[in-house]
Amino acid sequence: MARYGMVIDLNTCIGCNACTMACKAEHATPKGIFWAKVLEKEVGKFPAARRIFLPVLCNHCKNPICQEVCPTGATYKREDGIVLIDYDMCIGCRSCMEACPYGPRAFYESDGAYYPGERTAYEKSQQDFSEGVVMKCNFCVERVDQGLDPACVVTCVTECRVFGDLDDPQSEVARLVADKKARPLLPEKGLEPSVFYVGS
Amino acid sequence: MAARIDEFLIGVKPQREWGWLVISYLFLGGAGAGLFLISLYMDHAWAGLLGLLVLVLGTLLLLLDLGRPERFWRAFFRPWTSWISRGCFFITLMVLFGALQIAPGLGFLWESGSALGSVIKAVSVAAAVLVMIYTGFVLSPSPAIPFWNSALFPVIFFVYSLLAGIDILILASPFLPGAPLDLVSLERLQIYLALACLLLVLSHLSVMSSSAVAARESIRLLTRGRWGLLFLGGVIVAGLVVPLALSWAVLWKSQAQAVFAFTVILALLRLFGDYLFRFLVIRVGLYDPLL
Repeated sequence: MARYGMVIDLNTCIGCNACTMACKAEHATPKGIFWAKVLEKEVGKFPAARRIFLPVLCNHCKNPICQEVCPTGATYKREDGIVLIDYDMCIGCRSCMEACPYGPRAFYESDGAYYPGERTAYEKSQQDFSEGVVMKCNFCVERVDQGLDPACVVTCVTECRVFGDLDDPQSEVARLVADKKARPLLPEKGLEPSVFYVGS
Repeated sequence: MAARIDEFLIGVKPQREWGWLVISYLFLGGAGAGLFLISLYMDHAWAGLLGLLVLVLGTLLLLLDLGRPERFWRAFFRPWTSWISRGCFFITLMVLFGALQIAPGLGFLWESGSALGSVIKAVSVAAAVLVMIYTGFVLSPSPAIPFWNSALFPVIFFVYSLLAGIDILILASPFLPGAPLDLVSLERLQIYLALACLLLVLSHLSVMSSSAVAARESIRLLTRGRWGLLFLGGVIVAGLVVPLALSWAVLWKSQAQAVFAFTVILALLRLFGDYLFRFLVIRVGLYDPLL
């Protein structure tokens, strides 16, 4: 069985946030909620100061702590390693948000409509969640199931993202990880993320 | 709903999801269970009833905190992995068996001296202890927030819960039917509990001061930063040291007479410190930076 994962090249990312917007367009996420985003930080001192960018999303961990702490079973992991939320089962306790060190989850409290009081036809067609639940990146599971790459991968203007099967030694993501070129965030937390990074 | 700017920055970030409703539950749930436990020790059914009511009030606040409170029953589904789910069972057991336990003392139902009575008492004691400590286990396994990631939390919450439970009992003592309470004995017990709280809290800070970046930042916020005055002045000095010193000085002598007004002031100070402690523990929960 496949275990899907992603490798992101930090040397190539230019912080354009095309992935952020592609994700919002794909999933019609509510106002103020981002399943994928690009973090940034200023490092060094003038005249050598520069910004570094860190694209982040759900890490779809092999040992998902979010699934462990969820009291309802709303968070679950598919056989292919994709961690999902059953929005009909979520009670909005946010224990998963407190337990995950990567911060990809968002609580859809209310007031998330771009046009208050109504949802657009596109939002209605794309949104399978309701107010009062926690939501997060689903690795574009609807695209993956059709054999397509996630929206953030295909939209990246510098092609800094690679998506594939970590269990397939022939895949590019598996080779990058096997060559020790790719590393996960916060490996000391022991969650074995499926999202890896190369470069600095 | 606007995104916060620090959502897009790399660095230490505060948890913002759990606020005053969860904090109030931590306080009331623990205090209610502590009060119930001490009521069993003192064989005072009305105090036990008060403990159950305080726990139920806290639980209602917790329900209000849920995004979808009408689905609360789903939280019973995962007791084999989730401490929140286990907590739902502990609370339910404590309320059900606690009500059965105190019923004879209130003049209802059955004879408490039977074998069934012993089973009910044992289950209600176990459930009360578990309600007091499980919130510590909700926090302590978190790999995300290093300041919470400590095995001391269940112990700290247990002692603080007992302390708060007895304080509520002291405050309520004039209004409780039944035999008058021995305030001197209760206040003497509080000396030991407050001392234990002080040692445990300081031990936790000591352990965390050499932990991850976010835990060290939590310590800085509590001692020299934004929350320094509330923590050092409120939790440590007003909530523990002052009541400890006054109680020791006045009540330690074997012939000491408890003055009700005096014990009320000490109880209020300790309750203030307990709530503040739980507030600050949640507020200074910080996530480690991703890079």
